[in-house]
Amino acid sequence: MTRSPVLEISDLRTYFYSRAKQAFIRSVDGVSLSIARGETLGVVGESGSGKSVTALSVLGLIGGSPGVITGAVEFAGGDGARAGGNGRRNLLQDLARHVTVTERDGRIVAVAKDEPGWQAQVERSMRGVRGKEIAMIFQNPKSSLNPFLTVGQQISEAIRLHTPVKDSREAKERAIAWLERVHMDSPRLRFDQYPDGLSGGMCQRAMIAMALASEPSLLIADEPTTGLDATIQSRIVALLAELKSGLGVTTLLITHDIRVVSRLADTVAVMYGGTVMEHGPARDVLAPSVEPKHPYTSALLASLPSAQKNGGPHAIDGRLSVIRGEVVDTMDVPRGCRFYARCDRVTDTIRARCMSQEPALAAVTAGHQIRCYLYGDEPRDGARAG
Amino acid sequence: MRRYRQAAGEVGERRERSRWRAATTADLAAVGYGLLVVALVVISYALGAVGWLPDDPARMDMARLNAPPGPGHALGTDFLGRDMLSRLIVGIQAYFLPGLLAVATSLALGATLGVVAGYRDGRAEALVTYLSNLVDSFPRLVLILLVIAAFRADIYYVMLVVGITGAPAIASLIAGKIQFLRTKSFIEAAHVLGLSTRVIVVKHILWYNCAPLLIIQATLGMGEAILVETSLSYLGFGVQEPTPSWGNMVQAGANYFFHGKFWPSTAPALAILGTILGFHLLGDGLNNILESKSAP
Repeated sequence: MTRSPVLEISDLRTYFYSRAKQAFIRSVDGVSLSIARGETLGVVGESGSGKSVTALSVLGLIGGSPGVITGAVEFAGGDGARAGGNGRRNLLQDLARHVTVTERDGRIVAVAKDEPGWQAQVERSMRGVRGKEIAMIFQNPKSSLNPFLTVGQQISEAIRLHTPVKDSREAKERAIAWLERVHMDSPRLRFDQYPDGLSGGMCQRAMIAMALASEPSLLIADEPTTGLDATIQSRIVALLAELKSGLGVTTLLITHDIRVVSRLADTVAVMYGGTVMEHGPARDVLAPSVEPKHPYTSALLASLPSAQKNGGPHAIDGRLSVIRGEVVDTMDVPRGCRFYARCDRVTDTIRARCMSQEPALAAVTAGHQIRCYLYGDEPRDGARAG
Repeated sequence: MRRYRQAAGEVGERRERSRWRAATTADLAAVGYGLLVVALVVISYALGAVGWLPDDPARMDMARLNAPPGPGHALGTDFLGRDMLSRLIVGIQAYFLPGLLAVATSLALGATLGVVAGYRDGRAEALVTYLSNLVDSFPRLVLILLVIAAFRADIYYVMLVVGITGAPAIASLIAGKIQFLRTKSFIEAAHVLGLSTRVIVVKHILWYNCAPLLIIQATLGMGEAILVETSLSYLGFGVQEPTPSWGNMVQAGANYFFHGKFWPSTAPALAILGTILGFHLLGDGLNNILESKSAP
């Protein structure tokens, strides 16, 4: 990768605390990701694997205690690119001052957080970033638009807030141009409509127009196709693909739909139980029969309907294969590999280590990393023998 | 194709009018009557302020004391032969501005406390709840009399007390609304868009989502303020003779009530009844139309 990353997340940890169970929910537990300019990074994983929480942490939207506790989010926005890559800054800078982490036996056991100070710091570092440099689109677009404002008012608001255009007439023309760009039919008519007069697909187009209207350096798409009809889904995916090639929007695409990722992403990160299991070029990670591959990734791919058509190794008797067991409990993360309990590729030579130490994300080829002892010997930093 | 698009175009407009179309006749009638009362009060207040009255409210017509409605005096006269209609119109001066002050106080204070309690749960919310319990547990009229005893019988002081004691109820309504809206994705989306919390609270929550609620509370609050003013003036703690107020007019007429001259106190009493009823019906009707089915 020669292109400089727009966003580089390193060792991000976002925890929640369950009062009922008296335990931390380790939603994001040491995630590192990077996205190069103009590239689309697809983050896939089951529900509860920490995909969305990662995105919300980047935008400083996880409030409460403990929330984001460690990590760095290096971001190089539009200004940074012009200044020759020197505009990189850590969005989580100085946040460590407001958080005190107590570790015991290599595990975080207590977190003390100065919540008001932390919030104030986040608001400072997010000024001019949230909405302007990093825009986000959500699942369920209908409920993400304010039902009391017309679509046009909401897009114009974004334009007047984040671009030099302040004149309302000019902002309206811009907004209509963006609605045209996302292929909204009869944009002039839609401009004056309320969200409940639009279909789900139209609302998502309006959301995309609103997000892009501030010309962000990074677009975070959190499950952009969830909650839409299948035919609308494929049209939204086609739109995102078109915007990617036409505008070169750098995108962090979060989804549990591997087919969406395979159509859009250049790079893929597979998340499981709050951490990245595999990170590499989409063509290597998502091709069903290409090795090497993390056992979790191959199991995910095998559970797709297309895998059995290709005679994939996990298709049994013409039925879809499933990953046995349940998603790892992020309140009680095992000492060893998070996927060990569900893994069916564990061999006798590595079994002992799988159970006791979490493996490191090891590079198998340039730009392709896998967290599995099948492909690397190193245990993860900070992890100890149990 | 063109036809379908037009049909789709109407959907957005429909939501605007649908609530008024779906409203029951009773609610519409209540709102209509309320608006009529509000219009009458505002016009009468303006007339009284510029002094365009049918008669001089202080002129005594000694030939016709405690007269029923008749020629020359459309609503009759009081015990000093003063024109009742003129005095009723001037009487609005006693509660109109003080009432607005009370409403403005309780809305401003209530909205502020409500936003604090709704957006910062925990200690702030507990504090607001505690304050509201404290205010609710103390009889309002006693508090007002205490203030009058401590300072002086000024209607503006009284209305300030009315405004402050009305605030906690509004605060808890706003707080509930904000706690409900906070979890909505469109508010979260507004945060993601980079809007400041202040803009989100003032514009997206208070202005677009709480405006009907605030209007309803304002009309109810105005009715309440009128009731307090007239009660106090009736008791002699409010506006003093010879300045007319609906309350002291009822009181003045009451002395002659059992001598068969019931009209001088009945006319202002009916005015009080009709006006407060109007404000309450307006608030109630608006509440039924705008709030009950408005959850987005």
